[in-house]
Amino acid sequence: MRTLGLEVDGWDSHRAGQHLDVRLTAEDGYQAQRSYSIASAPADPLEITVERLDDGEVSPYLVDDVGDGDAFEVRGPIGGYFVWDGDEPEPVLLVAGGSGVVPLMAMARHRARVGATAPMRLLYSSRTWDDVIYRDELESLGIEVVHTLTRGQPPGWTGYTRRIDDDLLREVAFPASDGPRVYVCGSTRFVDAAADGLVRLGYYPRSIRTERFGATG
Amino acid sequence: MESRVLDGNAAGGLLLELFGVELTAAPCVCSGCGAREEIARLDVYVDCPGVVIRCRHCHNVMLTIVRGPERTWVDLRGTRGLEL
Repeated sequence: MRTLGLEVDGWDSHRAGQHLDVRLTAEDGYQAQRSYSIASAPADPLEITVERLDDGEVSPYLVDDVGDGDAFEVRGPIGGYFVWDGDEPEPVLLVAGGSGVVPLMAMARHRARVGATAPMRLLYSSRTWDDVIYRDELESLGIEVVHTLTRGQPPGWTGYTRRIDDDLLREVAFPASDGPRVYVCGSTRFVDAAADGLVRLGYYPRSIRTERFGATG
Repeated sequence: MESRVLDGNAAGGLLLELFGVELTAAPCVCSGCGAREEIARLDVYVDCPGVVIRCRHCHNVMLTIVRGPERTWVDLRGTRGLEL
C-alpha cells in the first residue's frame, strides 16, 4: 500500500469520491491502464492510495518503483455519481471493504476540511488490524468508525469479527427512517452483499450509491 | 476465466474520453425492460474484447465499446435513451 501525491497539468479540482485513470506506456508501445480512487479532500493536494497486487501490471510500478519527479499519464477526475459534496444535511453511512475505503476517506477528509455537520459513520471491513488503511487518521476525523476484522484480530479485540451481514448492518447503520445517504465501495461481492442487506433493512435502493472495485492491478 | 462484473463507474474514464462529458451520473433507459438507471448503476464487463454494459434488471446489452488502434466502435442498440 502506498499513497502518492500527484501534480497534474491543467488539473482543476475534484469531488470527494471520484477516481482517475493511470496509463503507463512501455518502450515498445504496450499500454496498461488502471483506475485509482482519489484519497485526498478536494481542497488538499491530489493524492491516490494504491494497493499493490503481486500479479498486477500497474500497481507494482506505482508502489515499488515510481519516485519523485517521475511522470506518467493521468486521465480524470472521473465520476459524477459516487460523489459526496458535503452540503447535504442527511447522515452519511460509508461502508468499506478493504481498499474500497479510499474514496470514502476522501469524503471523510472533505467533511473535516469544510466543517460539514452531517453525521458520518464508517463501517470498515478488513482482514486484519494490519490491513486497516489510514488507521490512525480515521480516529481524528470526527466521524464514527466501526471496524470488523474478518480473518484475524489483535489480542483483546472486542469489536466485530465477521463479514458484514444483516445483523451487523442493523446494529451499525443509521435507522432507515433518518433518510441517510449511503456510499459502499469494495469488491463486487462485498458491495452487493452490503447493498442488498441495507435494502432488507428498509433503505431506499436509490439512496445507496455503490462502486465495485475491480482488482485489476 | 469468469468475466468480472464491475459497474458503470469503471467505464467513466472511457466514456469521458469518447464523449467529452461525465456520463456515470447520466440516466440511461434500457430498450429491453425500460428500466431507467444512471450508468454507474449498470453492470460493466471489462474482461471481454472491449467493454460491455448491461442492464442490471434484465441483463440486456445496453452499450458496447470496442477500441481499435485508429477508431472506436460504439453500439447503443440496447439503449433507448440517454439523459444528459
